[in-house]
Amino acid sequence: MDLFSPANKPEIRIQELTGERIRFILTNTDLSMANALRRIMISEVATIAIDMVQFDLNTSVLADEFIAHRLGLIPLDSTEADKIKYPRDCNCSGACKECSVELNLHVKCTEEDTTKDVTSKDLVSHDPRFTPITEGPKDAGILIAKLRKGQEIKVKCIAKKGVAKEHAKWSPCAAVAFEYDPFNKLRHTHYWIEEDEKKEWPQSKNANDDFPPLDDEIFDFTAKPNRFYFEIETIGSMKPEDIVMNAFKKLLEKISSIQMGLHSNDVPINGREPTRDVF
Amino acid sequence: MDCSDNTDNNSNNGNPEENSDFEISDILNFYTEKGSVTDPQSMTFSISGEEHTLGNALRYIIIQHPEVEYCGYSIPHPSEDKLNIRIQTTENTTAIDAMRKGLEDLKSLCAKISETFYKANRDFDEKNNIS
Repeated sequence: MDLFSPANKPEIRIQELTGERIRFILTNTDLSMANALRRIMISEVATIAIDMVQFDLNTSVLADEFIAHRLGLIPLDSTEADKIKYPRDCNCSGACKECSVELNLHVKCTEEDTTKDVTSKDLVSHDPRFTPITEGPKDAGILIAKLRKGQEIKVKCIAKKGVAKEHAKWSPCAAVAFEYDPFNKLRHTHYWIEEDEKKEWPQSKNANDDFPPLDDEIFDFTAKPNRFYFEIETIGSMKPEDIVMNAFKKLLEKISSIQMGLHSNDVPINGREPTRDVF
Repeated sequence: MDCSDNTDNNSNNGNPEENSDFEISDILNFYTEKGSVTDPQSMTFSISGEEHTLGNALRYIIIQHPEVEYCGYSIPHPSEDKLNIRIQTTENTTAIDAMRKGLEDLKSLCAKISETFYKANRDFDEKNNIS
């Protein structure tokens, strides 16, 4: 197998890396691997998010479930999400310190002539590792509700670990851009045009990093995509490079659990009852 | 793996009606599909809880194996949490061995890309701290 020959060695070039986004090019690997990475980053990297909300008091104009939903969508710092258990793996019956984080919110408006903003900054976490994210001291926080004089909200939130497959609030990514073959040399897509393709379809920015086709280039129908452009934008709960690393970790975990399932097959195939022929 | 003599030990389960799926594992609901054990060279593996993410990558890795004649995957129904992988091999190996090798190769490929990313990240950080 030529998976690991020098010509087939996967390479990664990081083009941009900031606190909230990463752009990189993955080369010399198959589309299926690149797509697996993309899918895992979108839906299977674990984060922490508010999952249960108990309302002690809500005299605001917003309904309980409306506020609960907004609370769920607030990004919590999830850089240490792997230190916490999934609720299903925990021995406790409801929520304990091993598998959940409690956050409290208690705001009352006492101002006479203005409304009071309830924001993510009013959430008080019991665990300093998992707090609502803020962008420095000037950040006003994420608006949850507005209160008039005398109105009050008092809630207890339980945050849990989860994946975006179950609910998008657990996704660490706001967007994952994925592209290959910006010049459409492989003809995997078809551009609808009026007259001139080049005039009507602007080039993607990844075209600057790819190899433009020659004017007389013949279509190579055996060509396979092997250069993949990724751009990941986070919601702030995790560093972008951590999302990528966690995605690889998750993929390895998946493979290992299947290997475990297959491993126990070593013994039983001869000892068990054979299946009937159904065909 | 030798599977030729499995017809002799069939008295340990009394209810063949309920057991038409051949269970490989009790841990992970990993089993081969109906009728597939009679021929060790062609089997359908059924994995619960997995999707295209793993299915397509695993399929790609398994067809790289020179002894594999066919490998394909499907998700029979979107509301069923199930992934089927069909493997057919030549006489020189078995489908289970091909699956085992495929998993091992996918794992090392994944580890390799992960390592590549780690290095690229470290180099990027170093370069930007200096300048």
